[in-house]
Amino acid sequence: MTIHPTTGPGPDFSSERGEKTSPERADVLGGAATSLGHGSFDDHHPPAQELLDDCVHCGFCLPTCPTYALWGEEMDSPRGRIYLMEMAKKGEIPLQGAFTTHIDRCLGCMACVTACPSGVQYDRLLEATRPQIERHVPRTRADRWFREAIFTLFPYKRRLRAASIGGALYQKLRPKSMDKLMARVPQRFERLVAMESLLPPVRLRDAFARIAPRTPAVSSPTHPTRRGRVGLLTGCVQDVFFHPVNEATVRVLAAEGWDVIAPREQACCGALGLHAGREAEAAERAKKLIATFERAEVDTIATNVAGCGSSMKEYGELLADDPEWAERASAFAAKVRDISEIVDETLADPRARRHPIEAKVAYHDACHLGHAQKIRTEPRRVLRAIPGVELTELPESEICCGSAGIYNMLQPEAAGDLGRRKADNIRGTGADVLVTANPGCLLQIRKYLDGELPMLHPIQLIDASIRGVRPPEMG
Amino acid sequence: MSTPAVKTVTPTTVDELRDAVLDHPGTLRVAGAGTAADWAGTPAPADTVLDVTGLSGIVTHNPGDMTVEVRAGTPFAALQDELAQHHQRVAVDPARAAEGATLGGLFATADSGPRSLQYGSLRDLVIGATVVLPDGTTARSGGHVIKNVAGYDLTKVLHGAHGTLAVIAGLVLRLHPAPRSTPTAAVPTDRAGMADLARRVADSPVEAVAVQWHADRLLVLFEGSEDGADARARRLVETVGGELLAANEATAAWDAHGAAVRARPEGRAVFRLGVIPAALPGVLDGLEADAGALTEVTASPRTGIATVALPADADLVAAAHRRVAEAGGTSSLRQRPDGASLPAFGPAPASAVLLRAVAASLDPEQRLGRGRLAPWVPLPETTGVTA
Amino acid sequence: MVDAQMVREFTDLLSENGVITDEVGLRSYECDGLTGFRQVPALVVLPRDAEEVAGAVRLCAEYGMPFVARGAGTGLSGGAMPVADGVVISLQKLRRILEIDVENRRAVLEPGVYNLEISKAAAPHGLYYAPDPSSQQVCTIGGNVAENSGGAHCLKYGFTTNHVLEMEVVLADGSVVTLGGPTGEQAGPDLRGLFIGSEGTLGVCTKVTVRLLQTPQSVRTVLADFPSIEAAGDTVGDIVDAAIIPAAVEMMDSLAMEASEAATGAGLTVDSPAALIIELDGPADEVEAEFEQLTAICERHGATRLHVPQEAEERQKVWKGRKAAFAAVGRISPDYIVQDGVVPRTRLAEVLTRIADMGRDAGLRVANVFHAGDGNLHPLVLYSEAAGEHDAAEKLSTDIAELCVELGGSLSGEHGIGTDKACSMPAMFSEDDLGVMHRVRLAFDPDSRCNPGKLFPTPRLCGERPGKYQPHPLEEAGVIERL
Repeated sequence: MTIHPTTGPGPDFSSERGEKTSPERADVLGGAATSLGHGSFDDHHPPAQELLDDCVHCGFCLPTCPTYALWGEEMDSPRGRIYLMEMAKKGEIPLQGAFTTHIDRCLGCMACVTACPSGVQYDRLLEATRPQIERHVPRTRADRWFREAIFTLFPYKRRLRAASIGGALYQKLRPKSMDKLMARVPQRFERLVAMESLLPPVRLRDAFARIAPRTPAVSSPTHPTRRGRVGLLTGCVQDVFFHPVNEATVRVLAAEGWDVIAPREQACCGALGLHAGREAEAAERAKKLIATFERAEVDTIATNVAGCGSSMKEYGELLADDPEWAERASAFAAKVRDISEIVDETLADPRARRHPIEAKVAYHDACHLGHAQKIRTEPRRVLRAIPGVELTELPESEICCGSAGIYNMLQPEAAGDLGRRKADNIRGTGADVLVTANPGCLLQIRKYLDGELPMLHPIQLIDASIRGVRPPEMG
Repeated sequence: MSTPAVKTVTPTTVDELRDAVLDHPGTLRVAGAGTAADWAGTPAPADTVLDVTGLSGIVTHNPGDMTVEVRAGTPFAALQDELAQHHQRVAVDPARAAEGATLGGLFATADSGPRSLQYGSLRDLVIGATVVLPDGTTARSGGHVIKNVAGYDLTKVLHGAHGTLAVIAGLVLRLHPAPRSTPTAAVPTDRAGMADLARRVADSPVEAVAVQWHADRLLVLFEGSEDGADARARRLVETVGGELLAANEATAAWDAHGAAVRARPEGRAVFRLGVIPAALPGVLDGLEADAGALTEVTASPRTGIATVALPADADLVAAAHRRVAEAGGTSSLRQRPDGASLPAFGPAPASAVLLRAVAASLDPEQRLGRGRLAPWVPLPETTGVTA
Repeated sequence: MVDAQMVREFTDLLSENGVITDEVGLRSYECDGLTGFRQVPALVVLPRDAEEVAGAVRLCAEYGMPFVARGAGTGLSGGAMPVADGVVISLQKLRRILEIDVENRRAVLEPGVYNLEISKAAAPHGLYYAPDPSSQQVCTIGGNVAENSGGAHCLKYGFTTNHVLEMEVVLADGSVVTLGGPTGEQAGPDLRGLFIGSEGTLGVCTKVTVRLLQTPQSVRTVLADFPSIEAAGDTVGDIVDAAIIPAAVEMMDSLAMEASEAATGAGLTVDSPAALIIELDGPADEVEAEFEQLTAICERHGATRLHVPQEAEERQKVWKGRKAAFAAVGRISPDYIVQDGVVPRTRLAEVLTRIADMGRDAGLRVANVFHAGDGNLHPLVLYSEAAGEHDAAEKLSTDIAELCVELGGSLSGEHGIGTDKACSMPAMFSEDDLGVMHRVRLAFDPDSRCNPGKLFPTPRLCGERPGKYQPHPLEEAGVIERL
């Protein structure tokens, strides 16, 4: 199986290719960048050759890739994107242009990582590639502005709260004619339209409510001892737009015998930036969060946001090169648990009684939980532990809903197609309620299923079951 | 135009067959046991008859590999007898086998029997072939292993070629173990009810290997171990009615079925058709509306294949072909009275273009079986003998 | 050559985003599942329906362009590798299941439908599609037709050719024909059977009707470990002698199990020299009786462990361990070559011994995963590109394939000839055999524009291996040509 670049009749195409590549490469790097051995990448953590070599081009990833499902184009599949990375690594193609387009279109859902029999770590490859693009590919002014806007708003609770005032007012006052107006907005503003339509209905009281810094475990004569101290990441979007989820989380943890610590000074975990290639920003946020939770002296760090959990579990790799932080980051990462993992561990010896909730429940795997953290059975187990719950599986459950961090704002068209596809699949199950463990998914799916059925975080269902009340939105 | 004398040659080896093809210029007609001499298109007079019954016998049989290589002129029944000694078989059961049909003949005429529901026809069991082209080229395709995708599956194009394109010298077949027990259940039903009944048979977990309607009964054949197959047959009878036939009754029932398929009723022609199963009852009713009562009817409501006898009238047969074609099906003419000039096939499908191209490529002078595939492959412009 | 006029015509013909012309896009299509052979196409087109496919093929005909139809690009013989200056027609947008006809037990499919999707769609009706290649989650029915794909269960149920009833095919000139029909039986020669397995060299299939089978009442699977490959092989022989036709009999050696277990955690015994996965299906009572017979045979041959998965989920896990084995080998070796040869089943032990010897001589490890029931071997030659072992590995792999032919078998059981084995074809077929195949090819495609350079040995491709291929006398006489 020799490489025969010139097999088949006709003129030799490969030599033509050879002539083309070098000048283009020079254009991008301007001859100044240090790319020794890394082709079009610079030498700051380029995608590692060993990781690229793991891919044997078998194609098992194709059916689970959302963009491949939509378009069927090789360049917009995991296998294709790895092939592009490989070409860039050899310096055969520049980062600018098609390469960036196809990497930008990746949702980072990691369904391919689950599907891959060869164990290709596409997550690591993507995380190594995106910062290279951010460093070397100048974005258009509009794109730059939009990205900056997102990163100036979302990771800041205070700014989100301020925005939520505007949002709440806007939603109250928004004239019906606005829909028509938005539909006529020119193509180049489609991202703004996408952002507008994602604004969740939020109660100002929730947006400004805060989680108590310390909530003691519920003790009872049968269970006088605590299980331990859990630190809760309250999150940014989660705390402002889905505050009731945080409240439910605290109540469940306390009811199950944990002291819950929610440090006031905690800020964004950096997940949104990390997944978009803003590595330096993410590293700074990681350090601050590590320090915060070190001071809180907790045994476990809980999160109810799939995206945050996924990036916090990777702090060790993110800060591996920083001698001062490497060890502290690994120690932190080792303590991180998704809320479903924590609750699942308590099922063997539950302290809080579950009251029945008669409902057909569709569980949507958030990509950052299912694919990135491989947490699929735990949420299902904790839901099944609620008497009366009938759990139903979604067709195409491995395919992303299109939310993917900030993807639905950056690539609204693809996200829209995926959102509609997911909504159709959810409708088809005839479920009474949809549950999923990520605020991004909830915002995205709500857009395409608005009002059709209640949508909750699993912990809200568990909380309602423990308290013996009807879950929110379920009357 | 003079009529040259017809010679018959009987080669006994592949080399002799090749020599015969090369040494006898002009047109050739391949003949086996002659059980389907009147099937398909009426052949134009040939200069030489190639009698392949001399190419007979098993070449290699390795029971452990479940494969056998057989010369094309071997009588199928003799082959089955030989294999039975090793508790093996070729899992097809065409009716003509009882008349002495050869393996090559059954293959070339794409004949199959009731078990095609489970095992398909010979096309599904042949894994290799040796053929001789009209230009004397001897070629092999496939091989001796069941699983093989190397090269084109050339053998397939000779299945249903009725002795055109190339002469089949030998075939390699995959074998199946002979079942220990083959009970038959018979459920009375008229033709109108056969489809629904057959669907109930198919939907129950009894795994029938053949479901045939004949003489107002649905015959359901089972294969398996003594206990297993009998139990399944009994379970079917419990579910849908009818009776489990005693061994001699079952043999008689299937013999009668086979006799109907290969019948040569006076003044009638035997018409073979295949349509999508659900359409079969309607198509049979339609044929009857056109041509009067059908006789010698055998039908498989699960495969959609049926054999019926019609009046040997060219217009009626043409109408029957058209009716099947309109239902999206396929049809061909089988036994017919001597000298009857009846259309062998229905309207030519779009793929007939390909068929003509393949014929032109393998047998550009139409030496072999000229007229057999007419009108899909029309006779050459010059009907004279080419030397 | 592609010019602006031509690109414009393709763009006008096809729906939005139907034409790829940029270099990065084109290079993404330069190889299929076999990456050793690469060729950048001049153009990639993605039609949305059969009509667009026919239109694209007609345009290719007008411009005299060669073309290659491509499904999911998972083939392991380079069959979907583009042709220089040619067009790739990707069928990945033709993914609709057009009909599941429960009453007549058939499905009508566009060619880009994933194999596994057919069974998923049929499952609610108690039906399934039998051929199950290991890549069934991603390989497409169109690709299955091109390769006549089998799978683990083809021992009992046959191959693609035994399950396809009817196909709509676009020929090289853009005309559309239907091959086959509503029943297995056809009037006239079986062109459908000829087309299936022709590796894209006779036309492009745009619609396929397949048979669906009733889901077996009962399925029993055993994963049996054996103290040696020979013991496992003898077990298979005795099963066949006992007149049992298992739905599947798969064998894996320790190296393959090590890799697969690391990837899937399927429960394989990593240090066992050999294991068989044997599956029986059918009516419950008989399956039960045969299963007892089967386990007794395994025990008689010294099986060291019999694992019988009880739940469907557990069974799927075992199968996952088998089906993911190729790709999983990437975990234990930086590079590897998947070989695909067939020997008569009774010569399995002999061929395995010789493969082991050959591997030792070449200083390379060979893992074995194979369909033991039908003698279809998949030796995986492990090597390191970085250590300069590529050529030795390639030679060993080719030698193994040709050894299979020498033992009375075949160059390929299911992966096809493609680009990879075209040069070995003369080891299995004479000049006359190949000449006749080529004549048929020219009848379908007189200008050899459908996937040229595949399946047939070409002087250009095989020139580096003198002595293997002699031009056919007809070729020398200019009667036929090989591209």
